[in-house]
Amino acid sequence: MATINATTTISSDIASYPVTISGEMTMTKSANPSVGLEETTGLRTKKFTTTTAAVIVEEDELADNTAHKVYIRNASASRANFFYVAYNSGAAAAATAETIGKLYGGDWMLFPYNGSTDITVASSTSTETQMLEYMVFADGIVAAKG
Amino acid sequence: MATTAQITITSPDLMPGSALNITANTTLTKAGVTADLDQKESAVIKLVSGTEYRLGPLATEMAGDAHDIASYLYVHNKTTEDATYYVDWGIHETMIGRLYAGDWMFIPWNASDDGAEIEIEPQGGTNIIEYCLFNSDVILPTAAS
Repeated sequence: MATINATTTISSDIASYPVTISGEMTMTKSANPSVGLEETTGLRTKKFTTTTAAVIVEEDELADNTAHKVYIRNASASRANFFYVAYNSGAAAAATAETIGKLYGGDWMLFPYNGSTDITVASSTSTETQMLEYMVFADGIVAAKG
Repeated sequence: MATTAQITITSPDLMPGSALNITANTTLTKAGVTADLDQKESAVIKLVSGTEYRLGPLATEMAGDAHDIASYLYVHNKTTEDATYYVDWGIHETMIGRLYAGDWMFIPWNASDDGAEIEIEPQGGTNIIEYCLFNSDVILPTAAS
C-alpha cells in the first residue's frame, strides 16, 4: 500500500475575525480504512484550445462506489477564463444538471468520486489556451474497455 | 479582503521512483474578475444516517436566481467513531462520491440551475460534518410582510 496525504489551509478575512481552516487526510480504501490507496491514473497536463467538452475521467476504468479522489487544477492564470467541471457522460456546460462548478485560472479542487459517471470539462474560451492538470487517486482501477 | 486556499498532496511511494509533491495556491475571487469574495457561512453539524441534507443556500438564493456564479465549498467529515462511516455528496439529486470519516473536499460550486443544491446523505451512523461556503452572491429570501 502507499501513503498519500492531502492537506489544505484556507484563510480568509471576510469576517471581523480571522478564519483559518486546516484539513488533513490520508487517502484510504473504502473496504479497509486502515489501508492506503495504491493506484493512480497518473498526473496529467492537458492543453485546451476550444470550448468542446471532453472526458477527463472515464468511469468504466474505475471500480464503482469506492473511495476515489479526483484532483483538478486550472493551471492557467486568467481569472476571466474557466473550465466547467461536470459529473456527466455528456457535455459540461452552464446548464448541465450535474455541473459542479467553474474552475477559474489558478483554482483547484479535490473531491471524492464514486466512479459511476464520467467527469467532463469544457473550457470557457477558444481564443485563449487553457491548461488543465488532473489526477485520480484510485480505489480500484479496472482494465480499460475497448 | 482576501480568501486563499492552498493544497499539498504528497506521497513517497505511490509512484515508485518519483515521489509525488503537488502544491497549489489560489486566491478566491468573484466570477470572472479579481475582486475578492465577501460573504461566507460555516457550521459544524451532526447528521443522522439515511437522511438527505442540503449544505448551504438554495440554488435560487445564489445571485437572486441568476446562477452560474462563483462560490467555493469546503466540507470535512469530522467523524471519528467509526472509519467506515461516510456521507454521500452530490448535486441535483445525483450522488457524486463518498466522503469517508476523516476525509475533506474542496470544490467550486456555481449553482448551475434551480435544482443544483449541494446535498449530503450520511451513511453508517451519525456523522459530524464541518463545512464552509465562501461566496459573494447569496440573496436571502424576502421576509413575508
